[in-house]
Amino acid sequence: MKILFGILIFLILWQIFSVILNVPLILPSPYLTFESLYHLALQRETYQAIFSTVWKSLLVLLIVIAIGTPVGFLMGINESVYQIFRPAITVVQAVPVISWLALVIFVWGIGWKGPVVISFLSLLPISIFTTATGVRSTDRNLIEMAKVYKVSQIRIIRTIYLGSLVPFIFSTVEVIIGDVWKVIIVSEYLCGSDGIGVLISWARQYVDVPRIYALTIIAVALGITSERFVKFFFRKALKKWQIQS
Amino acid sequence: MANTILKVENLKKDFDNLSVIDGWNLEIERDERIAMIGPSGCGKTTFLKIIANLDKNFHGKVEKNFERIGFVFQEPRLIPWISVMENLTFVFPDKDKIIFFLRAMHLEGFEDYLPSQLSGGMKQRVNLVRALIADPQLLILDEPFSSLDMPVKFGIIEDINKLRDQRKFAIITVTHDVKEAILLSDRILILSKRPSKIIEDIKIDLQKTERDISNTKFIQAESALMKRIFSLGN
Repeated sequence: MKILFGILIFLILWQIFSVILNVPLILPSPYLTFESLYHLALQRETYQAIFSTVWKSLLVLLIVIAIGTPVGFLMGINESVYQIFRPAITVVQAVPVISWLALVIFVWGIGWKGPVVISFLSLLPISIFTTATGVRSTDRNLIEMAKVYKVSQIRIIRTIYLGSLVPFIFSTVEVIIGDVWKVIIVSEYLCGSDGIGVLISWARQYVDVPRIYALTIIAVALGITSERFVKFFFRKALKKWQIQS
Repeated sequence: MANTILKVENLKKDFDNLSVIDGWNLEIERDERIAMIGPSGCGKTTFLKIIANLDKNFHGKVEKNFERIGFVFQEPRLIPWISVMENLTFVFPDKDKIIFFLRAMHLEGFEDYLPSQLSGGMKQRVNLVRALIADPQLLILDEPFSSLDMPVKFGIIEDINKLRDQRKFAIITVTHDVKEAILLSDRILILSKRPSKIIEDIKIDLQKTERDISNTKFIQAESALMKRIFSLGN
């Protein structure tokens, strides 16, 4: 109920500012935006664009976790590997999207690969560093206990290290799921052939500002829904991992 | 010599320039129970780690005549995301044996519980079961009762002594509690402040029936030990 009230307040403020400003090219009214959203809902290409953005986001999420987790694990378990890899990954993390863009357009041109690669490179360091931190923060007491009872290294890795990694993998997904939409849409805008970002780019060319706002609402809704879904699911799954009192 | 499970000669341990253990000499028989009492930071836990092979950086001679050791840690050290049974099979796969000890420790029916679903006392009992299932020749107790209330603590001590009578293993207990020390030992070693030395080796002459905190002889032994500790300035 409070959330609905909050949304209502937001819409009222939006309406007030759009009336005060009275420049639809900068801030169209909620009515114009929702009218545009209604038209978008009737068009097949909107759903194709959403599907395109969704699958690219899921693909990025999958490869980021699939590569980031083992690399982060190795970095976490071995200090030398951590020190060797850290500078390279820090550099990758610091490179602006625009620099990747130049490279990606040069290699693949316009298409789906560009947005996927750019998003992957932007989000991979988060996955690697979160995983490495998870492994490094594994309870040393548990490792010591296992050593007293001469438990094999493989069992220690499987049960203690990988087990203590689960919450960190979940939190990586939580962080990435919030960011992946934004990065994918920006990359689509810059070098994509389809997706929400491309629709925003076309709307910009036609100076169709209400359409840009309507597409933004779709993007925000996708982001919030996926984040909520992941949080709900993970909270249930993580009950087991609660810290021992 | 054949009856000695642990022999320590001139053991010294430093942390950087800080001397913690300063020339301990000690011999423990196969089914003997000893307790160590000493101020914080005098190297008791460090000594236990040396015995358990967790610390190999020391001077002096440590002769270990045992293959299997059980270590009851101060905190339960249970893996939070797996069940009690999985925590135990993690160190020892024999489920029948695990069930035997779970029964002996009054934990039957809790096999599928997660550690977070157990009380503090139950967690410590699981910690103890984990130490016992490998059939240890030496059981180490590193202040395992410090966070437990009295009835739970004495209940566990009684169970340990019962099992020890049946299975004959040596026990080394580290504690700050004089009652615990007397209940769990035949000899009590008193340690000095850091850099620590073994300053007293006291034999506890109590029969099984007298190892009861309300027994007159127990109370006398406790009082004598307390006086001795105070007179030594600990």
